[in-house]
Amino acid sequence: MMLDRIVEALEKRTDLAGWTVRHIRTREAQVYAVPQGIESERTVDGERYLVDVLRDTVTSDGSPAVGSGDATLLPGGDIGHAIEQAALVAGLVANPVYDLPDPAPIPEVVLSDETLPRNPAGVMHDVMERIQRAAARQPEARLTAAECFGEIQNIHLINSRGIDAEQDSTQVSIEYVLHGHKGDRESETFDPRKARRVADLNLEEAVENRARYTLDLLEAEAPRAWQGPVVLRGEALAVFLAGDELRGSVIQTLASASAKYAKFSSWEVGDPILRGELKGDPLTVWANRVLPFGVASDRFDAEGLPAKRVEVIRDNALASFAASQRYAAYLQVPATGAFGNIELPPGKTPASELLAEPHVEIIQFSWFNPNPITGEFATEIRFGYLVENGHRKPIKGGQLIGNYLDALADVRWSAETGFFGAYLGPHTARFNDLKIAATTE
Amino acid sequence: MTDMKLPSPMAELRPALGEIVGSGSQRAAHFSVLLSSRQGLTIVVDNREERVTERAPAAGTVFSAFDGVTSQERAIGGFNAGDVKAAARDFIDALALPKTALPNEPERSGDFASPVQIDPLEMTTQEKLDRCRALQQRAKGRDARIVNVQVRYTELNEHAVYADLNADLAQRVQRVNMSLYIVVAGPTSDVRYDSSSKSGSAGWEVLTWSDEDIQRTIDGALALLSAERIEPGEYRIISAPGVSGTICHESFGHGVETDMFLKERARAAHFIDKTVGSPLVNIFDDPSRQGGFGSYFFDDEGQLSAPTQIVEQGTFRRGITDRYSATALKIPRSANGRRQDYSRKVYARMSNTFFGSGTSTLEEMIAQVDHGIYLDKWSSGMEDPQGWGIQVTCHYGHEIKGGRITERMFAPIGVAGYVPDVLQSISAVSNEIRMDGGNCGKGHKESVPVASGGPHLLLTARLG
Repeated sequence: MMLDRIVEALEKRTDLAGWTVRHIRTREAQVYAVPQGIESERTVDGERYLVDVLRDTVTSDGSPAVGSGDATLLPGGDIGHAIEQAALVAGLVANPVYDLPDPAPIPEVVLSDETLPRNPAGVMHDVMERIQRAAARQPEARLTAAECFGEIQNIHLINSRGIDAEQDSTQVSIEYVLHGHKGDRESETFDPRKARRVADLNLEEAVENRARYTLDLLEAEAPRAWQGPVVLRGEALAVFLAGDELRGSVIQTLASASAKYAKFSSWEVGDPILRGELKGDPLTVWANRVLPFGVASDRFDAEGLPAKRVEVIRDNALASFAASQRYAAYLQVPATGAFGNIELPPGKTPASELLAEPHVEIIQFSWFNPNPITGEFATEIRFGYLVENGHRKPIKGGQLIGNYLDALADVRWSAETGFFGAYLGPHTARFNDLKIAATTE
Repeated sequence: MTDMKLPSPMAELRPALGEIVGSGSQRAAHFSVLLSSRQGLTIVVDNREERVTERAPAAGTVFSAFDGVTSQERAIGGFNAGDVKAAARDFIDALALPKTALPNEPERSGDFASPVQIDPLEMTTQEKLDRCRALQQRAKGRDARIVNVQVRYTELNEHAVYADLNADLAQRVQRVNMSLYIVVAGPTSDVRYDSSSKSGSAGWEVLTWSDEDIQRTIDGALALLSAERIEPGEYRIISAPGVSGTICHESFGHGVETDMFLKERARAAHFIDKTVGSPLVNIFDDPSRQGGFGSYFFDDEGQLSAPTQIVEQGTFRRGITDRYSATALKIPRSANGRRQDYSRKVYARMSNTFFGSGTSTLEEMIAQVDHGIYLDKWSSGMEDPQGWGIQVTCHYGHEIKGGRITERMFAPIGVAGYVPDVLQSISAVSNEIRMDGGNCGKGHKESVPVASGGPHLLLTARLG
C-alpha cells in the first residue's frame, strides 16, 4: 500500500523532527437540475496523501527553531521526491519550537449517513426527486434550479508520535432555487443546505418554508429606517453565529489562538469580550467537534488532535482560546484543536416572547460578512419581515448596520433550541437595538 | 516552441486522448477530455512566524459527454494512464445519450503559456521566501502602533490539456498574488488593519512595491483607528477602480452568466438590447486580457479566449456563456465555461470583468462633488442576479467636501441599491483602468480566480 510506503520513507528520514501523513479518499455523486430536467450528472473519485514534516532549524541568532513543510501525493506519485521537497521547505523556515500531538483517546463521533455510502448516485437522485416533489406541491412557486452533492470521505492519519487514527464521514450539500411571479413582479429564494446525513436537511419542511418566503417576496417592499429589536431565527441565526462556507464568524476568529498570536485578536482569557453596557442574556459559547452529525464535527483534526467540546466563552468572558497544537505551544495554552461547531446553551425566554411586536425579522442576508477583527457590519437584507400592529409585512433591501460585539451585549436567547449544521443552540434570538438603513428616503 | 512546463504525467497521457475522444464521440454528440492540474504555493511572513505551504493541489481527468440537453461526466483524480483508460472505457460503455446534431465547432489547436519575465517555476522557494521577508522588513517598524506586518504570497500554477474531435489544446496559466497586511493597535487596544495587493497572470515582475505603496497601506490602517460610521443615506460617491470593479462584477458580471438565464435566475435575460445604465457605461469580460489575474487562453470547454462586450453605452448586449447555456439559448459561445477544478462542474463564469474607461480625470470628478464620499477600498460583494440588488462592502471611504478629499474616514461602508438605478446615475468615468485580482464564488462555492476593475466612477448610491 502506498500509505505504508510513505510512512516507511518518512521513518527513514533522520533529518525530520516529526511528520504527519493523511490519506484522504473521497467518492462523490453530483446531480444538477434546471427547469427542463437534469442538466448534468457527475461522479467524482479522489485520492491523495497529504504529508506534513517538521525539521529542527535555528533562528538567525542561533536559537532553536522549527520549520514545517508539506507536500501532496497522488496515487503513483514519487514519494521520495515529495518528501524531499517538504523537507527542503521545512529547512528554510525558523519558527518558535512546537511539536506534534501525542496519541490520545479519540472519541467516537457519528459523522456518516447510513445509506449514502452504499449508493451515492442513487441517494442523490432520490434527494433531487424529493426536492422536485416538494416543490411541485407548491402551486405558486416553481423550482428553477437544484444541485445535490453527496460525498463519502475516509481519512487515515498517522504521525511520528504514534497517532494512527481513521475516520469515515459523509456530507450532503444541496441548493435549490424557487421562483415566483405575480403580474410583472418576480421573486426568488435560494436555499443552500449542508448536513452530514440526508435526514438533517429537513427537505420537505425547508421547501415549504422557502415557497412561502418566495410568495411573500412578491409583496416585499424596501424597509424604512429602523432602530430597535431585530429577530434572527434558524438558519439566519446560524449564519450570524457560525459564519458560512466563505468565512467563519467573528467569535471563531477572535477566539482562535492563531489570531491572538498574530495580534489580530486583542482578547485575553478572563476578560470580557463584549463591548458597551451589558443589557441582554449572558453569552456562553462552546467550540464543539463532538456534536453528532455536526457539519464541523470530526473524530480528530488535521493535526490528529482528538475532538472535544471546549468552553471558549463563559458569561461574556473569554474562557479559553481554540488552539491548534502549534499555537497552543506558542501561547502556552491547552491545545484544543480546530474550532468545529459552535454551541450555545438554551436561553431563558420562550421564543414566543421574543417575537413580541414590534420587531424586524431577517430571514436571509445577502451575505452576512462582518469585519472579522472589529465586528463592524453593514449587510444587505435579502428578505425579512417588519412585524408590527398585527401585521407581518415582507421587506427586501436596506442594510443591517451595527457591531457584532455590541449586538451580542444586548440579545435575548430562546429557551427552545435547534440544530442547524454547524450550530447548536437557541433557535431564536432577539437583538434589542440594531439599526436598519433604508434603501430609499 | 512555447515552454509549457506541462507536468510529465499530463504530457505522457496527452497522446492517448485522441483515441479516447474518438471512441467517446461514437457514443455521444459531443465528447471531450480535460486534463486539469491546479497547484500552487503560499508563503506567509509576519513579525512572529513564517509559513510555506503547498496550495492543496487538484489534478485530475474529466470525461464529458453532451447531447445538447444533458451532460454526463466522469472525473477521476490524477493522470495515471491505466486508471484513466479504464475509467474512460467504463464511462463510454455506460453512455446512454441520444446522438443529436450539435453546431459544428471550428478546428482549434495550440499550446499556450502566460508570458512571464521572472518565472515562479524557475525560482527556488528560498528566493521567494527571501523576497517576502524583504517586503515585510521594509514595512515593519515604520510606526510604533504597528503590531504586525504580514506578507502573503500565493502562486497558482495551472495546466490544462483539452481534446475533442476538433480541438487539441494545452495551456499553462501562471498566476501570482501578493498582499501586504498592516495590523495596528490603538491606545485602547482596538485592532485595525489595512491591506493592499498586487496580482496578475504573470511572474514576479508584477510584484514590486514602492515605498509609497507601503506607506499608503500603513496610513490606511492608522487612519482606521479613528474612522467613524457613516450616517446612512444617499450620497454622491466616487468609486476607486477596485470598488467600480466590484460593482461591475456583482451586477453585470454574475447577473449575465447565462446558465442563470436558463435557471430563470437573472433579470438581465429580459433586458437584452435594453437600456440598463447611463450612456457612459461600457462593461466587458475579457479572458484574453494580457496579464489579468483572471486570464486564460481557452476555457475548460476548449473555447478560445476573446473579449465580450456585455454593456455597450448603457445598453445590455449579451451575457457570458458555457457550452450548455449557449446551446440551450442558441447564442454564440464566449470562453467562460470554467470549473473550480476537475472535481467540479463547468458553469458560465467571469474572467476579467471591468467597466470601460471614459474621458474624465479623477481631479475633474472630485471637483464636481460638493459633499460626498470617495470609496477607497472594497472588502466584499454579493450578487443578486434576480433581484438586481447590490451589496458591496467597502473597507473604508473618505469624505469629499467642497471638491476635495478630506482626512475624515468612514468604515466600513455598505453600498446598496438597485442595479439599474446605480448604473443610470453614473455621470462621469475616468480615463484609466486598474484591475484587482481575487477569487470569485458562485453563491458560496465554486471558487475561480478572476479580476475586476475599471476606472473611477462618479455616481449616486445609498451608503450605510
